[in-house]
Amino acid sequence: MKLTTLMLFLAFMQVSAGTLAQKVTLSERNASLTTIFEQIRNQTGYDFAYTTSTIKAAKPVTIDVKNEDLKEVLDKIFVGQPLSYTIQNKSVVVSIKEASLFGQLSAMVKGALNIPTEIDGTVTDTLGHPLVGASVSIKGKNLITQTDSKGNFSFPNMPQGNYTLVVSYIGYEKLEVDITNTGKYEHLAFVLRLATSQLDQVRVIAYGTDSRRFSVGSVSTVTATDIEKQPVSNPLLALQGQAPGLNVTATSGIPGSQVLVQVRGQNSLYLHQDNQYSNPTKPLDQPLFIVDGVPFAAQNINVNQFASLVTAQSNSGGINPTSAGISPFGNIDPADIESISILKDADATSIYGTQGSNGVILITTKKGKPGATTFDLNVNTGFNSVGRPVQLLNTQQYLQLRKDAYAADGATPTNDPNNYLGYAPDLTIFDQNKYTDWQKVIYGQNTTNTDVHGSLSGGNAANTFLISTGYNRSTYNYPGDFADQRYTLHSNMHHSSQDYRLSADLTTDFGYDQNNSAGYGGAQDVVLAPNLPDLFGPSGNLLWNYKGVDLTSYNFYSSLKQPTDLENYNFNTAFHISYKLFDGLSIGATLGYNRNATDEHSIDPGVAQNPAYLNRQANFSANTFQTINIEPQINYDKNIGKGIFSALIGSTYKKNTNNSTYTTGQGYSNDNFLGSINSAPIVSALDGYNIYKYSAGFARLNYIYDSEFIINLTGRRDGSSNFGPGRQFGNFGSVGAGWIFSEQKLFKKSSCILSYGKLSGSYGTSGSDGIKAYQYQALYASFPTYVPNFQGIRPGYPTNLYNPDYSWATKKSLNIALDLGFFNNRLLLNATYYRDQENNQLVNYPLPIQSGFATVLGNLDATVQNQGFEFAINSTNIKSKDFTWKTNFNISFNRNKLIAFPNLVNSSYASVYQIGQPTSIIYGYRYKDVNPQTGLFEFYTKNGAISSNPAYGPAATGGDEVPIGNLEIKYAGGLGNIFTYKQFSLYVFCQFSSRNAPNYLAEVYTGNQLGFAYNQPSAVLNNYWKAPGDIAPLQRLASSYGSVAIGPALRFPQSSGVYGDDTYLRIKTVSLSYQLPDALLKKMRIKGASIFMNGQNLLTFTDYKVGDPETPGAFTSFPIQRIVAFGLNLKF
Amino acid sequence: MTVFLLVAVLFASCKKFIEIPANPPSSITQKQQFADSSTTISAVAGVYTYFSGNGFAYSDAALTYTTGLSADELLYAQSTDFQQFYNYSLTPLNSAVNNLWSYPYQSVYEVNAVLNGVNNNSGLSTGFQKQITGEMEVVRALYYFNMVNLFGGVPLVTSTSYSATDRLPRATTDVIYKQMLADLTDARKKLTAAYPSAGRARPNLYTALALLAKVNLYDGKWQSAYNEADSVIQSGNYTLESNLNNVFLDGSNEAIWQLPANQGYYGVADAQYFVPGYPGANLNFLLTAPLLNAFEAGDERLQNWVGSSVVNGNTLYYPYKYKNVSASTTPTEDQMILRLGELYLIRAEAAAHLNNLAQALADVNVIRARAGLAASTADVASQTAVLAAVMHERQVELFCEWGNRWFDLKRTGTAAAVLGAEKTGYSANAALYPVPQSQILLDNLLTQNPGY
Repeated sequence: MKLTTLMLFLAFMQVSAGTLAQKVTLSERNASLTTIFEQIRNQTGYDFAYTTSTIKAAKPVTIDVKNEDLKEVLDKIFVGQPLSYTIQNKSVVVSIKEASLFGQLSAMVKGALNIPTEIDGTVTDTLGHPLVGASVSIKGKNLITQTDSKGNFSFPNMPQGNYTLVVSYIGYEKLEVDITNTGKYEHLAFVLRLATSQLDQVRVIAYGTDSRRFSVGSVSTVTATDIEKQPVSNPLLALQGQAPGLNVTATSGIPGSQVLVQVRGQNSLYLHQDNQYSNPTKPLDQPLFIVDGVPFAAQNINVNQFASLVTAQSNSGGINPTSAGISPFGNIDPADIESISILKDADATSIYGTQGSNGVILITTKKGKPGATTFDLNVNTGFNSVGRPVQLLNTQQYLQLRKDAYAADGATPTNDPNNYLGYAPDLTIFDQNKYTDWQKVIYGQNTTNTDVHGSLSGGNAANTFLISTGYNRSTYNYPGDFADQRYTLHSNMHHSSQDYRLSADLTTDFGYDQNNSAGYGGAQDVVLAPNLPDLFGPSGNLLWNYKGVDLTSYNFYSSLKQPTDLENYNFNTAFHISYKLFDGLSIGATLGYNRNATDEHSIDPGVAQNPAYLNRQANFSANTFQTINIEPQINYDKNIGKGIFSALIGSTYKKNTNNSTYTTGQGYSNDNFLGSINSAPIVSALDGYNIYKYSAGFARLNYIYDSEFIINLTGRRDGSSNFGPGRQFGNFGSVGAGWIFSEQKLFKKSSCILSYGKLSGSYGTSGSDGIKAYQYQALYASFPTYVPNFQGIRPGYPTNLYNPDYSWATKKSLNIALDLGFFNNRLLLNATYYRDQENNQLVNYPLPIQSGFATVLGNLDATVQNQGFEFAINSTNIKSKDFTWKTNFNISFNRNKLIAFPNLVNSSYASVYQIGQPTSIIYGYRYKDVNPQTGLFEFYTKNGAISSNPAYGPAATGGDEVPIGNLEIKYAGGLGNIFTYKQFSLYVFCQFSSRNAPNYLAEVYTGNQLGFAYNQPSAVLNNYWKAPGDIAPLQRLASSYGSVAIGPALRFPQSSGVYGDDTYLRIKTVSLSYQLPDALLKKMRIKGASIFMNGQNLLTFTDYKVGDPETPGAFTSFPIQRIVAFGLNLKF
Repeated sequence: MTVFLLVAVLFASCKKFIEIPANPPSSITQKQQFADSSTTISAVAGVYTYFSGNGFAYSDAALTYTTGLSADELLYAQSTDFQQFYNYSLTPLNSAVNNLWSYPYQSVYEVNAVLNGVNNNSGLSTGFQKQITGEMEVVRALYYFNMVNLFGGVPLVTSTSYSATDRLPRATTDVIYKQMLADLTDARKKLTAAYPSAGRARPNLYTALALLAKVNLYDGKWQSAYNEADSVIQSGNYTLESNLNNVFLDGSNEAIWQLPANQGYYGVADAQYFVPGYPGANLNFLLTAPLLNAFEAGDERLQNWVGSSVVNGNTLYYPYKYKNVSASTTPTEDQMILRLGELYLIRAEAAAHLNNLAQALADVNVIRARAGLAASTADVASQTAVLAAVMHERQVELFCEWGNRWFDLKRTGTAAAVLGAEKTGYSANAALYPVPQSQILLDNLLTQNPGY
């Protein structure tokens, strides 16, 4: 907690906000009004609201003032201009002074007679484009209207007097203007500026957009500016630490490797049982991923089918050991992403029903912007190195360890394989002085990333376009030509009809990712004995024998000579069309298609194999995910009373398919044939197929009353093909409400400090059907083709147990949030409490194998609760002409608990979970210490006795294993600071996390036991017991499985002895950039240029000893990389 | 909310939006599988087929090498937890123990599913139903025979409904033996002398009798064992192969039940595990000195069934009954499950217990003669001596086959004396392997064997 306190303190320190300078210094001759406005804005922070047509008639200005008040300066400027101004809320609203002659006349008459008159006007953005559907209301009156398709609004028959008009539009800063209706005609021209405060910026939410101001749901957004500073090739990595409630974990440092994402903790219980002889592993819930409105076909599943260098990096201390693989998101260029929204509570997600129950990640790509055609080019090169290398023993240390091990067992190492306990070629046959630093050989090299991204964009208000293309190449640290390369093409076109009734958007993404890797092996080979003989002959051939000792199992290079090539194609297209039938009602549809296809080819050529035992093999696989998504919608907006009512009614049709094939050829006669299946004498093939159809009807009703009260209702009926007849449909919904209490008069008065305050909450349900199709029938399948026929008969086998009765899992979510804005919203605080409960859990219920199968699919009447707090702070600490400093901070505390599980004690889950404890509970032995006399680890039995060999199994089944902790993340978050000084910009982002996790000893004692013929981290030196009386943290060594030390050694990794604190703070990103000055740019005839240096994973502060705290427990997994990238950005 | 209700009602009728084909392309329903005899036979073939190492009756060699290590047949030359079998330090987490427990139960489910599918199935002829039922009963009996000898009493599963089987306790050894006898007695009635398909891959009447003889022998029912072994030997269908190298070949005249290797590229699993891929390659398993010393001088089995390899000047020996690492090597080898040689030794042992000592020695001598050895010198008047001769012959004839040596040492009560003299660590508790920890976690009615 010390760390947290410090960071909170820092975050609050930075809120010492400077007040805006209101003094102006100007010296201009015959300058245009816009130039003058721009200068004043830079000096004071005041915005100017006007349209180009308004100031068309303005005269040039000559002025010379020094340190004068803004008001006085403005008066001087407006002298003799056909314009007038008012100052409203840090905005200067400019309007035309006089109307037409007729207007003046009629106004005079009306004024004299005090006849009610119309208040009308237009609302545009700063480029003069009309804002359609902006809301305009009159404060204190029951009057609200919306602008039409040309941005016009009107309030007819308004009595004369003073009014306050409030103009707002999502993504733009709200404007409040005092006007006087004198009866004379006045056409008001409001110009809204794009919101710079995070409170009003547009956010992408489910089927639409909103702003933080009026939202009652829990949504976090990460935008392009946060993403582009991070030299990562997977966009998911750019989310790490950026949003409260979101945990992002890299599985390894391998280019292209999987990144795991979780929103607000683990909800489901179902255990993965990959096969009947492995212990079940706990699941990891991941959110729903949607790209431009289209559910990402592959979601966040590994796209590879082959085991390769990538999959070899399993993270045993992590959440899910089956997680390592190639990520489908490696095929999306982070530079093409405009924003990523993370939807967390029922209000935000229940519109996605079934799909969204574990949260939703909405990725929105970049769109064209109106204006002059711009070409933007970004080039950078990164240099990678291992972030936290593990120090291993050298030859002398290693051999000493081995000798100590034999001495401890009273055995003598021999060169005779018949003496299986003493056979030690590393001590008796291999060179005793040879030294190879396998870590350096395997991943010691520095590698490079090259990234190029170019985009062309432009258009006018009605038609915009964007075309961008990118290339990225990241190389592996392994010796050899291994790399991940990505080519992307992204485009967006937008069209609006002249009357702005019709709008159409087409977004298309194409990505091609090529991962050249090698056979299974790699990082885990760093533990090879350091005095292993040469594995290479003089001509580069592999060596298989050294003085009679077979080297086959040691030959690290063999796997490197087995190329494994993966090609992933991602095609995503989203088409959105809408048409406004009449004001307030529009109909539209989103049509989406996503195809993610992977081809893989791996070979095991003769050159990689021991020639005496040759079987040339080649594998070919294809794996295709597809989504078709059709969503017709009706939107309706209407002003009711003082509020705005909006309704969305829609439906979804979705079809997902996944097809895969896997072909293996064996017994080839020549390495050169391995590219084709045709030459394989023995061919076997497999395929896989999954289909999922989903349809739903949904509605969302929203009412914002007087910009103060918000109510939001969503409801839906879902149908899923994953369930058996009669169980396919479910109803879900949510209710959300918010109160912007800062709209109260009380706060208005003291608004110098508190500028915004909102209390909001939501409650709702969602369902989950995350299972495979067809499991409600008992099915028979044919054996795959690699199994020969039995006497000419194709054999069949049953594939699953029969259970037709399972149905939806349901999740109930409660969310309460307090949002505060201070100092005119320069400091925004959010505090959120949430409580999610998932019950009727849909699980692959593990069964004892006597039932024939390891699992059966069914519902479990158990409830998992996640509750927690999230805090976020966004602050603009300093904003002056030359220097700005902004800070973002977030921290979240999730507490996971199994709150109900009827009859848990008698279920298959009895020894996996415990009521009242987190689902990540660990059962094991309570570790005591090393007995100074016997030199063996000692543990407490369940009765408190002490034993080196406690009984296997949990206490409930007679063993000595008891709950010894859990793996919950206690707190996690991020702290970002961005400083800009003139042309310089510096961004420093730190990510932190704290939990209890296994340390490196978990691996030392799980695989190659300490003392066996494998290298070990040098942290074990001087730490193991040698002689009676020694007080040592590690027990005596073992030379073989015959050693008495083996029993305790095997129990140790199941004990509390290998768990410890895993708290770290990582300087995740440091980005320094320099914008070339305008004068230079003009000379170079370019619009913009900057050079930058981006660093990723630069430094880690932690007490975690060996290996990386992000991938705990596995010091031989491929390390997280430190990246330093240099680049150039040009705009033409 | 009315709008919502309207939408909801609209969509309630849209079931066709979520309709998918009745079955996925790669699978059919249970009903379709047992529609007629031609598709039923595919499920039967499934029972006999190996799948991903999850072999029919341990044909992935796991039974051979684990029991070989526990007995005095094999050494494991490399550092993994297989050594736990050798030095009796097994833990309930041992993955090989898990396989020994799990594979049979998955296969028993398949057997039970076939039995369900054929019984009273109007689409199948009575004769076909009888034939398949008999075969499946023999298969099920073989699984339980191995299970009960490895673990003691195990859960008795005869149903495919998981709600009936997921909370079973361990049955007693007696109950398992009763089930085996019931299955084999019924199979004996249902099966005929003719094999139902080519070769001797699927059980016939004599297969049931041979297994029944073995079960009764283990159960100490000497007369039954004698009679049943005698019926098989007297049937005239089987003769000993005079050339030892022909015993394990496809079409061996000695075979009572043998399965095609059926592993794709590879031959019989035993060859894969025991025979080095090339000269000088690391050996997975080594034959022990006590076994090698048990062969008498001139025993042709030592020449033909034991292989050797020289590593770093040291000669290493390995089991070589199966020789083909690759399936394409000719002549083809099959996985032998029951053979006439064993039946002679079953009859011999039963005869010795029945005090028919001359008959016992005669049977032993049949086996010795085939191995090129002179008649046994055991004292025909001494039951102890004759029994010792039988057990010695079993050791050298049946080594590294189906766990015979480990089971023999245990059932004759000689394990402690023999193994205690040869290596350290043996205790009475080691006679039964531990119940896998993962299974106790999943069914806490399962009790652990003592000592684990």
